Amino acid sequence: MTTAPVPAVKIEGVSKRYGRTLALDNVSFEVPPGELFALLGPNGAGKTTLLHILCTILRPDSGWALINGVDVIKNPVEGRRNIGIVFQEPSLDDRLTLYENLNFHGLVYGVPAALRRKRIDEMLALVELADWRERLVRTLSSGMKRRLEIARALIHHSRILFLDEPTVGLDAQSRERFWQYVHRLRNERALTVIVTTHYIEEVEGCDRVCIIDNGRILAQDSPARLKSAHGQELVRLVAREEAAAAEIAAAYADRVVRNDKELVLKSSGDAFTEALFARFGTRIRRLAVEEPSLESVFLSLTGRELRDQAAGARELTYEFGKRGGEHTK
Amino acid sequence: MTNPAIEIPEKPPSAIMLQLGGVYAIWLREVKRAIRDRGQLIGGVSRPLLWVLIMGIGLNPYFRGEIYGEVRFVVPYTYLQFIFPAVILLNIMYTSVQSAVSTIWDREFGFLREILVSPLPRATILLGKILGGTTVALFHGSLVLALARFADITLTPLDILHGLALMFMLAFGLTSLGVVIANRVRSFEGFGVFANAVILPLYFTSSSIFPLDPSLTSAQTKLVYPEWLVMLVEINPLTYAVDALRGAFIHFYQFDPKLGPIVLVVMAAVFFLIALRDFQKA
Repeated sequence: MTTAPVPAVKIEGVSKRYGRTLALDNVSFEVPPGELFALLGPNGAGKTTLLHILCTILRPDSGWALINGVDVIKNPVEGRRNIGIVFQEPSLDDRLTLYENLNFHGLVYGVPAALRRKRIDEMLALVELADWRERLVRTLSSGMKRRLEIARALIHHSRILFLDEPTVGLDAQSRERFWQYVHRLRNERALTVIVTTHYIEEVEGCDRVCIIDNGRILAQDSPARLKSAHGQELVRLVAREEAAAAEIAAAYADRVVRNDKELVLKSSGDAFTEALFARFGTRIRRLAVEEPSLESVFLSLTGRELRDQAAGARELTYEFGKRGGEHTK
Repeated sequence: MTNPAIEIPEKPPSAIMLQLGGVYAIWLREVKRAIRDRGQLIGGVSRPLLWVLIMGIGLNPYFRGEIYGEVRFVVPYTYLQFIFPAVILLNIMYTSVQSAVSTIWDREFGFLREILVSPLPRATILLGKILGGTTVALFHGSLVLALARFADITLTPLDILHGLALMFMLAFGLTSLGVVIANRVRSFEGFGVFANAVILPLYFTSSSIFPLDPSLTSAQTKLVYPEWLVMLVEINPLTYAVDALRGAFIHFYQFDPKLGPIVLVVMAAVFFLIALRDFQKA
């Protein structure tokens, strides 16, 4: 191979500031074609801002973003042609039928009539919504709406798919099915997928994970390598009384990762756990040993746990309102 | 693409076809939504019925050019004939401005984003949207024409074509105005209040339900009507729109016949450009 393929997505030194908060601080990364790339981070980390810059809803304060080698900041219309997006909040017209929504999309993206009809049928079949074709979108469940949105994002044969927190608000079963469709799509066609999420279990299946917090990239690599580089076996314990917790924390001061509701200690293997038991065994109410996981990677990189920040319904609504104002300023 | 696994994309359609397709898609969506909105349709039918059949027929006998028994001027038409073109204006006005509610709707429920990330320029998106609203408003305006025989108005096909052209310009201008309002008001409730605060005053001061008599000099007009009212009527662009419609349907002009179409075109252009400027900034 003499030349490297043009990266599907390339971001270089992108910064974005909202008032006094720095949402993105000099972020750079590159995604080769065909990769499933995850942006992992808590709410407010800057994932959605980054995605909005890539799909040209927002302009960065500095830096550039290339999609298939096209500078989307200078040439947004050209950039948008190559991408399909599933936004965090539904963006379907729920007073139109499934077919009408897809047809609208195809028309707007200039897909010729015959091809449009063929693709709509294909995509509806793929996400198993063919039977609902003539139903109004408002009658669908939220999981079905999400699937329809994936179908829509692919009507114009986009080769790069952005998914922004695609599984928020879905039940476990719908989430699993959603990912099945994504993986099936990747098997069937060359598709670059960039997904943002704060569900750690979802990024295990990704090719590469980029951990982002407070607008900065902390690490990016395959899940396996992230785990071996930053992962850590952890011991989580709850002591019988406060005094015991304080004593344990003091005894292993250099190993404490977190100390609030439960005490989280870095472990160095079974010997450590056994020693801990020998000394404090009678004063511990509960203890769990945790294998190195992406959760522990995040914890050791940020000192916080992702799930601390998992979005509640309130935050989501608030975020929605905030972003609703964003592009209408 | 250098990656051989990726299939060769189909030939992209020509730029002009893409724009037309985009306008069509957005237009079609607006029209479909309007057809499915029963409430809007009921309003579009009941409003002219009220104004023409109740108000028009009710006030018809009182419409004479006399004040306190003294004949001051003559409008050679019945009140029903006089108010008929104005009811068309009213129906167009309500529907046009209301159609802009979908702009707020789209922003609130996320669909705007789907449109904004599409490869269509903002001007195309806006044009499709406004043409959609215009079509629906034009349809509601045409509903009033069905009442022509109750108002004793005989319409020739030419009158209707002339009228429809004017109605189109009017609907286009007012839909643009609706979008301008919708861009400034963020909530549904606010929009309703604001729209009504704009529609009714504009309607009542457009010489739609009472004439400023053409045979009077401006000094005499001011004698019959208070000066502020005459001024309000004269600065209201819709006065000239109603006048143009009257010209088309009952061949009666209060002002220079050329003035109406000019005002309509200018209004459509100005409001569209303001709406476009707002939308480009968005």
